[in-house]
Amino acid sequence: MGMAFQLAWRLFKHEARRGELTIILLAIVLSVASVLSLSLFSERLQQALTDRSAEFIAADSQLRSRNAVDTAWIEEAQARGLNTAFQLSTRSMVFAGNELALSDLRAVDTEYPLKGEVKVTDTAFGEGEIAGKSVAPGEVWIDSRLYQLLGVEKGAMIEIGDATLQVTEILSSIPDAGFSVFNTDPMLLMSAQDVAATNIAGPGSRVSYKYYFTGESAVLDDYYDWLRPQLNREIHRWTSIEDDESPIGRSIARAEEYFLLASLLAIVLAAVSIAVAAQRYSQRHFDPVAIMKTLGASKAMVRQIYLMQICFITALGISIGVLVGYMLQQGVVTLLADKVEVSLATWYWRPLGIAVFTGVTCALLFSLYPLLQLFSVPPLRVLRKDLQATLSSKALQFVFSGSAVFLLMWTYSQNLLISSILFGSGVLLVMSLLGMTYLLILAGRKLGSGSMGAWTLAWARIRRRAMGNSVQLISFAITIMLLLVVLVMRNDMVKQWRDQLPEGTPNYFVANVTETQKEALKEHFTKNDVQYEQFYPVARGRFVSINDENIRTEVTKEDEEVANEGRQGLGREANLSWGTELQTGNVVVEGQWHDNWQEGEPVPLSIETEVAGRLNIELGDALTFNVGSEVIQATVTSMREVDWQTLQPNFFFVLHPKAMENFSATYITSFHLDEARKPEISRIMAPFASVTLFDVDARINQLREIIDQVSMAVEFILILVLIAGALVLIAQVQASMDERLQELAILRTLGLKGISIRFSVINEFVIIGTVAGLMAALANEFSLYMLQTKVFQMPPSLHAEYWAIAPVVGALVVGLLGAIGCWRLLSLNTGHLLRKMV
Amino acid sequence: MTTASTIIETKSLIKKVTTSEGELQILQPITFSVKQGESVAIIGASGSGKSTLLGLLAGLDEVSGGHIYLDGESLHNMGEEERARTRGEKVGFIFQSFMLVQSLTALENIMLPAEITGMKNPKQRALEILKQVGLDHRANHFPNQLSGGEQQRVAIARAFITNPKILFADEPTGNLDSNNSHKVEELLFKLNQESDTTLILVTHDDELASRCERQLRMSAGELREETKHLKVIAGGE
Repeated sequence: MGMAFQLAWRLFKHEARRGELTIILLAIVLSVASVLSLSLFSERLQQALTDRSAEFIAADSQLRSRNAVDTAWIEEAQARGLNTAFQLSTRSMVFAGNELALSDLRAVDTEYPLKGEVKVTDTAFGEGEIAGKSVAPGEVWIDSRLYQLLGVEKGAMIEIGDATLQVTEILSSIPDAGFSVFNTDPMLLMSAQDVAATNIAGPGSRVSYKYYFTGESAVLDDYYDWLRPQLNREIHRWTSIEDDESPIGRSIARAEEYFLLASLLAIVLAAVSIAVAAQRYSQRHFDPVAIMKTLGASKAMVRQIYLMQICFITALGISIGVLVGYMLQQGVVTLLADKVEVSLATWYWRPLGIAVFTGVTCALLFSLYPLLQLFSVPPLRVLRKDLQATLSSKALQFVFSGSAVFLLMWTYSQNLLISSILFGSGVLLVMSLLGMTYLLILAGRKLGSGSMGAWTLAWARIRRRAMGNSVQLISFAITIMLLLVVLVMRNDMVKQWRDQLPEGTPNYFVANVTETQKEALKEHFTKNDVQYEQFYPVARGRFVSINDENIRTEVTKEDEEVANEGRQGLGREANLSWGTELQTGNVVVEGQWHDNWQEGEPVPLSIETEVAGRLNIELGDALTFNVGSEVIQATVTSMREVDWQTLQPNFFFVLHPKAMENFSATYITSFHLDEARKPEISRIMAPFASVTLFDVDARINQLREIIDQVSMAVEFILILVLIAGALVLIAQVQASMDERLQELAILRTLGLKGISIRFSVINEFVIIGTVAGLMAALANEFSLYMLQTKVFQMPPSLHAEYWAIAPVVGALVVGLLGAIGCWRLLSLNTGHLLRKMV
Repeated sequence: MTTASTIIETKSLIKKVTTSEGELQILQPITFSVKQGESVAIIGASGSGKSTLLGLLAGLDEVSGGHIYLDGESLHNMGEEERARTRGEKVGFIFQSFMLVQSLTALENIMLPAEITGMKNPKQRALEILKQVGLDHRANHFPNQLSGGEQQRVAIARAFITNPKILFADEPTGNLDSNNSHKVEELLFKLNQESDTTLILVTHDDELASRCERQLRMSAGELREETKHLKVIAGGE
């Protein structure tokens, strides 16, 4: 063992100094550096995004309750080191002189909000600025709508229940206001200390309570584990940022999946480069192993020497890789500092662990087969150089490499689906390539015969080195495919995010427009050059029963509140719309849309599929609603899928107009007003004082900002993966250059012109690059289809352009790299070339 | 059964290989013996089977039939591991293409067999022998920094460091110019005489072969003695 160690160390020292380990070392450095930089960056970015999304619930976790909870629960949280805050909300009438209005009252403690900011403004509907203080006892902050409705000024006194409080600020926004254009009353923020004086939270009042928590996620999880057995599903609801079902939540979740995908692909790229480098390393050591065996070394000794050497290489590679990866990531984050909020202060151990684990696993598992080959080199090779390793089972190599890749992917992602999709695509690619190579060889047999032109030489070489070329082809194609997947996914994802919020997205909603106001408002908008959207009729209905079954037990108040923030109004109180025209973003997936209803048939109703699933509603079910004092019955005749990502009013229930003919409708619409015209809003809406106006610009800007940040981060991750891929390609070309050395030396010795040799090598690489690009485009299409439909929940799309781009880029890049490698070799004189062969 | 002075003995030794056209016998039954300290040249044209025979005698390859005894040990019954141990203990090698480990210096290449077999003070012994071959000033040079002649001298030093009982040399001057060939030749026979090592030399250089006590000629897989009284030794005793 001591001797083996000495020999291994000696070989390692000399080879490292002489640059003979560069390729395998570079591959390990690359794998560790790319995995570390990607995971560290994505972890930090995810933390930043999580912090952003935490703002939407004003905390990391939130407990909602219909009753005030036991104070011991909160004390327990504080004892565990968690920060807590509190909010009580209810609807209450507010009086200011002769004016009165129903308000959405929020009473908060001084800790509120734990995440995000309360913003105030100087003028109604003006731009919000961070308040930087809490609402004090005796004070009340009211929003712009309430400010207008009550017609008050700052300093005015208003009555809430039995208390009189002073208006000190115009409230612009609170972080967890939610996003609902229905049933939203103007908001009022007051101190929780004044609630008792108002007497609004007495018996019979509909009050709900929110308790906010922030802290270490492990502590929060532990606390939730402690709390969960005490919660009553009918009364309490625990929400975390991970549960965020809003468009932002989904965008962030999708981005996280993309980071995961990019990191996985970086691991596969690294694995491919290590496999290539290890194969080359093994082949270079065939002679030394044969010599050692001839001189009396046992198999065990050879094994020890080379396993130790691989360990030394791995350790060095990992050390350099960690350094490079950290610097790379730090560089990217510094470059992005003013665009993406990523904290540099925190050091995450998990990415380091993953990177080291990847380095070790890749280096050892991917060197295993080449090493086994090396150990099997017969000593007789010292007499017969043509003797190769006796271990030649390709199947074994595929099993080793395949299992290693799959295990790494699975271990890293903890996601069987993504791992399986990528792995399956890889297997498909390998199979297609093997078939393609076979066809190429057949074609080459015809093309490669004839006079000694550069193309003829290239084809002849491809044919002769069929197996070697097929392995090379596969590794080129896998690299190109992985790069395509990352590139196309990024393009599709960013496009979809941007499409979600195109220029001119409505930033104001108008509700409570009466039938008589509708046409006048349309005219008024046109006159004032305001681009408005469709007007939808809406009525508030109380959902009573499905067939004869009362739904009270199935839809709780909590569901309603959560839904209100994400999906606008599901619960016993439901927003009903009606019409015969299907809204944009709606697709009937079952049954028939009710545009050709006949008199005498039951009144038809269309329901959104997810709600139908949740309430177990099927086609043909009879639903009953109370609207005002009337009872409406309708039969479910169609189910719709709705694109909730659009910021358009959408409805769970759409009835036929027949059902609502006895009701006077109110309407809802939306419109866009440029930033420059925002000060005009009060003037524009002044003639329609009774309609309700919602400014959702802040929310849209917030959404847009996040999408921009995520897109930017995704682009940088793409660049990192591209660099990794480029390095892999270089390693592959360099490895294959060794194989060409002998032939180049012979051709050169025989007097063939350098230019002919150069062109023949370039042509060979161009052919390989073209085929690899074509195959990569095929496998890319398959994996993208699977990823988009199964993982990212995006509509699948065909990427025809890449069928042309991939082969061209493959030919150019691989050909160029081949030319560079060939130039390096041909710059050596013939004598040097021949000596290198020995 | 070997006599006390016999170091190598073969009985009806044959070698077959499997080719795409079926099984091919490349060595006809060979029976011969070599005494301790003898120098024997195996000569013959390319493809006559010289290197195959060398591979079998040195325990680098497995026999297809017959017997080989090396210093009393039956090589034909041994597995690869045992043969490796025997090679390390009893055999030295010199090759046409030198077969030095490119990543090790001249000194480290010479130390290699000593370290593998667990000899004491391998470095000191290697330095001594390096001086004997006149390359002590090149100790820390890598093979690609040495001339062909120097590389072969390092290979000779490596072959002698373990004081082997038998030295197998495969075309030791085949890659060298006449000047270097001569130097290497002199060194080889000098060290051989000094250490009383048995020398089995494969060559197609008649002049080099003539320096050996015995000459055996390989032709189409058959071996014939070519000394004062030529006799066919193939085909059994």
